[in-house]
Amino acid sequence: MARLSNRVAVQLFRRLPWLAELWAARRSFVEGRGIPWAPLRRPLAQSRVALVTTAGVHVAADTPFDMRDRDGDPSFRVIPSETPAQALTITHDYYDHSAADRDINVVLPIDRLREAHAAGRVGGLGPRIYSFMGHVDGPHIRTLLDVTAPQVARRLVEDGVDAAVMTPA
Amino acid sequence: MGLVQRAVESAGISTVGITLQKTVTERVRPPRAVFLRYPFGHPMGEAFARAQQAAILEDLLRTLETAGPGAIVEPGYAWKRHRFA
Repeated sequence: MARLSNRVAVQLFRRLPWLAELWAARRSFVEGRGIPWAPLRRPLAQSRVALVTTAGVHVAADTPFDMRDRDGDPSFRVIPSETPAQALTITHDYYDHSAADRDINVVLPIDRLREAHAAGRVGGLGPRIYSFMGHVDGPHIRTLLDVTAPQVARRLVEDGVDAAVMTPA
Repeated sequence: MGLVQRAVESAGISTVGITLQKTVTERVRPPRAVFLRYPFGHPMGEAFARAQQAAILEDLLRTLETAGPGAIVEPGYAWKRHRFA
């Protein structure tokens, strides 16, 4: 039932884009105090760039994100960078991903970043992509802030990444 | 997504993110953002639109190179109307 009402909401938001602004205006968000800042250490042509997404992408064989919990799922999935696009799927009932189901680059520009690397625009790719499911609410916000987002940040450091490109749903 | 971005930047990694919702981004305050007036589910544009996706990725990379703290860059591509080379 919850999944059905999500589907209805997704279609409403798709057809009436102004609803999104109304939703944002009425909702409270974790507001940022100050802006963290890490300038690029070296030119992009020498930098290792990783992708991070909150579009609910994961390797099809991996555990899907939890769609039963109304407050969402603050966990993340790891996707090896060399994974072919066909091996990926999306578990996320809170947006219309029909276009991304056909071409994952709509939410995760994996092929475009490979091309940028081949063209020498970026020096290298992060060895792993980190993927969240963007619907995180209630107590899961704390888990995201205190546990899973810092875990991904540490892993990106261990991966030797200089920069991250982040895409939402 | 801005929360994850802030955590990654705090670990010393330069980050840039796409936002489809400027109101939220102005409140969450990620380090660097590219705002597109695109529908949910289409942060990189349309399916199989390589030129569009490549242009948006290039905007993201350029924002990494040039933007200052809190910048929200607006390329202004009209949904389904802008012609990408």
